[in-house]
Amino acid sequence: MIRVFAVLIGILLALPSVAQDEKAPIQQLMQAHGDSLAKPSRKTIQPTIDALVESGLSEVQTVLEKWQNKEVWRNKETGLFVFAEEIDRKTIRIFDVADGSDLGTVDDKSFRQLKPNSGVRGLIAAALVKFQLLDPEVGARQTALDAIARDPKQTHLAALRDVKEGETDANVKARMTRLERLLTIEFGDSDEERIAAIEHFQGDLGVDVRAALNPLLRVNRSFADTPPDGEGVVRLLTVGEDISRQEAYALLVQDGLAPALISSEARRETLVANIDDGMVAGIPVSSLGTDAARASAYDALVASGIAEETVSAAQQQAILDSYTFYETYTAAPPPVALAAAAALSSIENKVAISQAADLGLDAVSLASIYFLAAIGLAITFGVMGVINMAHGEFIMMGAYTGYVVQLFVPDHTLSIILAIPLAFMVTFSAGVAMERLVVRWLYHRPLETLLATFGVSIALQQIAKNIFGTQARPLTAPGWLDGSWVINDVISISYIRIAIFVLAILFLALFLFVMNRTRLGLEVRAVTQNPRMAASMGINPDKINMLTFGFGSGIAGIAGVAIGLYAKVTSEMGADYIVQSFMTVVVGGVGSIWGTLLGASMVGTLQKGIEWLNPSNTLAAQTYMILFIILFIQFRPRGIIALKGRAAEA
Amino acid sequence: MSKKLLSSAAAICFAGALPAMACDAPIKVGVLHSLSGTMAISETTLKDTMEMLVEQQNENGGVLGCQLEAVVVDPASDWPLFAEKARELLTVHEVDVIFGNWTSVSRKSVLPVIEELNGLLFYPVQYEGEESSKNVFYTGAAPNQQAIPATDYFLEELGVEKFALLGTDYVYPRTTNNILESYLQDKGIAEEDIFVNYTPFGHSDWSKIVADVVALGADGKKVGVISTINGDANVGFYKELAAAGVSADDIPVVAFSVGEEELAGLDTTNLVGHLAAWNYFQSAESDANEGWVEAWKARMGEERVTNDPMEAHYIGFNMWVNAATEAGTTDVDAVRTAMYGQEFPNLTGGTAVMLPNHHLAKPVLIGEIQEDGQFDIISQTAEVPGDAWTDFLPESAVLVSDWKELGCGMFNTETETCVQIKSNY
Repeated sequence: MIRVFAVLIGILLALPSVAQDEKAPIQQLMQAHGDSLAKPSRKTIQPTIDALVESGLSEVQTVLEKWQNKEVWRNKETGLFVFAEEIDRKTIRIFDVADGSDLGTVDDKSFRQLKPNSGVRGLIAAALVKFQLLDPEVGARQTALDAIARDPKQTHLAALRDVKEGETDANVKARMTRLERLLTIEFGDSDEERIAAIEHFQGDLGVDVRAALNPLLRVNRSFADTPPDGEGVVRLLTVGEDISRQEAYALLVQDGLAPALISSEARRETLVANIDDGMVAGIPVSSLGTDAARASAYDALVASGIAEETVSAAQQQAILDSYTFYETYTAAPPPVALAAAAALSSIENKVAISQAADLGLDAVSLASIYFLAAIGLAITFGVMGVINMAHGEFIMMGAYTGYVVQLFVPDHTLSIILAIPLAFMVTFSAGVAMERLVVRWLYHRPLETLLATFGVSIALQQIAKNIFGTQARPLTAPGWLDGSWVINDVISISYIRIAIFVLAILFLALFLFVMNRTRLGLEVRAVTQNPRMAASMGINPDKINMLTFGFGSGIAGIAGVAIGLYAKVTSEMGADYIVQSFMTVVVGGVGSIWGTLLGASMVGTLQKGIEWLNPSNTLAAQTYMILFIILFIQFRPRGIIALKGRAAEA
Repeated sequence: MSKKLLSSAAAICFAGALPAMACDAPIKVGVLHSLSGTMAISETTLKDTMEMLVEQQNENGGVLGCQLEAVVVDPASDWPLFAEKARELLTVHEVDVIFGNWTSVSRKSVLPVIEELNGLLFYPVQYEGEESSKNVFYTGAAPNQQAIPATDYFLEELGVEKFALLGTDYVYPRTTNNILESYLQDKGIAEEDIFVNYTPFGHSDWSKIVADVVALGADGKKVGVISTINGDANVGFYKELAAAGVSADDIPVVAFSVGEEELAGLDTTNLVGHLAAWNYFQSAESDANEGWVEAWKARMGEERVTNDPMEAHYIGFNMWVNAATEAGTTDVDAVRTAMYGQEFPNLTGGTAVMLPNHHLAKPVLIGEIQEDGQFDIISQTAEVPGDAWTDFLPESAVLVSDWKELGCGMFNTETETCVQIKSNY
């Protein structure tokens, strides 16, 4: 008794303050499909969606939209559906599905959220198209067009044609026209209509166009005893060239026009079954090593009536010769398929050219990233001759500086503008400190420098791990760098890569300016060529070395900000670039900035080129590239641009 | 002085333990996770998890009346060092059980050591299967508990007809992709509709690969990406996807190695709707999970998240505690026998069961990435029993693992023989 009472109180408490309209037609309809709404699967949900749409109820659009946005919940006890918005993790505010009236705030324990997966959401979106196409808001109409593009249905064609003329927004209208044509290709009523639509897309690079045309070209292999004629035939097949003899023969066997062959396995089993005292049909088993020998042994068995008869090669050939094999289009009437084939071949060349251009852009972009990573090293290693293994860690420090700045300055544009000079300052100081404490004691002792700086690099990595943790940290690019510059559906490059390219050019200019037009540059060149002579001219080589090393490190820091924007910020990111950086500088020619530029271009292009040849294995591409570079260094040990004269000896 | 201290400590131990039990030393639990090097990014969290579990257990009175002591060593993401450290744990520290490893290559290097010294290892990470060691309990997912259901989801629910299998170049992605390729071909996907690519650890230049994947859609088939990309290479991959304007509705990506922890390093606004398949998500709604997340955040900080391998350790550790209590000892063989059939509620609401093949029966969850870096669970299966030897490669379809009845981890059902006992394959 008490228990019943407690349950009653529980139910009363759970009930929302305002009663829900259980008898509303939309609620009734949803109840009728309750289980499939609550546990939807793409394969089975379509009838439910159709039932909702066909009911003609005015609430259907809202229900579908809310369902798609995961805003429909179901009461676990009563099974009634409500709209809900989450207030926090535990409470939701619920609304009636019929009129949207507020039913109060409740604990979400007694409700279950409906979560249609993206396959189901796509179907809902396709059903919503008919409402959204007429929506006064441009955004909603765009959503409808997105849904059509993703999941085209025959009904969409008529819907599009109805609204196309009345469309006021130029962008939307252009898209509607395009979609209408694409749908016509697939669902058009007459061949003429479809061919006309196909011809509109001559030379169009869009992936959607190719996606619409390619399925039309599906072919089927058939055969006839007389050579076929007519448009349905794509091409005749020559047995042995276009179609293998086995395949052709199998086609005939399938239709019962030729006797089935005995497989080599079945033949072997027959032979094994007939082994008698080490002999099969009088032939010793040991001599049955070849296919021909086994065939003749089998024939002997056939002759003595033990085994089933087989079809000899000559008989097979005779049967094959009496038929003609050819391909026919299966997905579309021949004229449409031929038009599609013509359109596709006009597109193919353009696609190939665009792909080459896209690869070229990728190569330029990779080259600029390598150049940016290497330019600091071109100063410390190229000009000063210090093998600085901690160069990568300066890149990492720059990237972390960018991350820290973003913690304090939430505006992404401003934070990047601030981060660049700050990263320079931080890594400049780090570079100067390292030069003072480590490198200057080891000038002209490359082995010790290498080991010492390698040690510093490991220490810096561990320090970064202790401070920032081991997880990758986000360095977010400003909103205006999101997305890509799309030239067509094949050629595109992300804005962030363009920004890195511009930055690389700026640094090249900065480097040239500092080295050739400033007092510092003059002194650096003097010190690197002949420190003692420079010293006797009043230059302090110690100070110049320190500043040069700091300058190179500072540039590495800025490169770190750029690299962090497009890839990741981790304590190990520097290690990813150190090998490429040294490779770039060495291949290009030590001591020349133009050499570094050429080296970066060569390494970048080569890597992309090899990736293109071997698309399934990026790792192999890198291996081949390193092999190539080893070979290259064998022939040009001083790199692409080799310094000559006394500068080379310094 | 120190003698006195010792004896009083012993007295306390005696008093604390039930009369029947004598506790002369704490029970040692080895923790073999990299705290430095590339894998520190993932494994440090698991070390913290183990320390938390041990602490919680000690507050509840320890095991068999003894306190537990976590012995933490650092194998430094160096695979051979894993073997060294495992030997150190078993011979120098004499631990009763080890919780550890992340990458398959590190597990492979530890196997001979624990089999030689008869140790006990709990391995918490999803892996490629094709292995069964007498001394290892695999609490992470086998391929049929992650990769296969996720692929089914792609085929059934998203209608994907063309697959890009992108992975990092090492044993787990390669084996998983082999299994998936053969599985997809069984399901009628043509060989030319499966695109496979391997990239090195930490790869960052993704533009070409993303362009290749987009181009796959040119023949009008729906394209889906199955990603076994590991570690921080994911950051660049998702950034490039977002830059190329690829939305989850056009080309969905399901990842097997991206969890809450990895998403913390990413701006997730552009990734909303992409998928991951695991046996646990932090967003799972159950009381046990709420308590677990709360305890973790209280210990490690509000911004920290929980993930699937952590749940695997949670289940594994608790099962070990229960098995040791049942067996009345921490002796490896006794605990191993008591492990079979152990049940423990998992954090997603069901019950995990330890099977005779040393794998768990666990539900498979598929989640969509949300803006806050958490996953929205859109599909949850019933418990799936883990399968050590996949049914989708002909050479391993005939193999089963059953340590309880058959006493063999590699039993050929066709010839009815045990192929081998040790796992040196």
